[in-house]
Amino acid sequence: MTLMVLLLGLAVGVLVGLLGIGGGVVLVPAMVYLLHLDQHMAQGTSLLILLPPVGLGALREYWKQGQVDVRVGILCALGMLVGGYGGGLIAVPLSSRHLRGLFGCFLILAAFLLWRKPQPKSPLGDSVGEESSRG
Amino acid sequence: MADGLARDASIFVAACVCGVASGLFGIGGGVLLVPFLALFFAFGQHRAQGTSLVALIPPTGLLAFLAYARAGYVSWKIGLLLIPGVIVGGILGGLLAKRLQPQRMRQVFAGVMLVLGIWQAAAVWWR
Repeated sequence: MTLMVLLLGLAVGVLVGLLGIGGGVVLVPAMVYLLHLDQHMAQGTSLLILLPPVGLGALREYWKQGQVDVRVGILCALGMLVGGYGGGLIAVPLSSRHLRGLFGCFLILAAFLLWRKPQPKSPLGDSVGEESSRG
Repeated sequence: MADGLARDASIFVAACVCGVASGLFGIGGGVLLVPFLALFFAFGQHRAQGTSLVALIPPTGLLAFLAYARAGYVSWKIGLLLIPGVIVGGILGGLLAKRLQPQRMRQVFAGVMLVLGIWQAAAVWWR
């Protein structure tokens, strides 16, 4: 059980680095189906996992290639902090059943967003000079 | 400058939307933020992913997490066990991202999510 949880973390982490996502979208269903947590429990635990900077190692690789816009990143962090509070308030009183269904719908939406991607074929660091990558 | 301000404001609003999804579904929000940056703000794929990772460094889910924790919806044991794996895996994934064809990888992942999402929604509401 413990080993499985450790390996699951490793597998999720690879996706985090590979796709630049938080990993919660994989963690939550994995905890629900593999570890049999309740939907609310899985979501709360996922938020706990995302508190430390789990993406730091992955970020380093992107940083080396200049593929980071720090200013926009910080702006997004602020927005997500505010929005996150609202989302949490909505989720907690919902029934676990409906929350799981909603989560399913969200996965479908996210899948479409992830699939359809404009291909501007941006070469590495094309706009690095424009955006102040670093103050 | 007003142009830059308007852009900043819309990025902030987009991030708020990601935040609501993050709190509502207990996720990081990057899965929305990356496509948002790419679709609406003309970020290249790698740059969108790198920037999303920056946004995920501070504990953006803290307020949402507190809401869950107050209600007792946190499994500390499993959470703490998962963290080291996610960190190590993240480094591996970052290295891999430079080698792999990200387009293909993303589409496979999107396919998995689609199936999982349909399955999950249908299992709950289909009766």
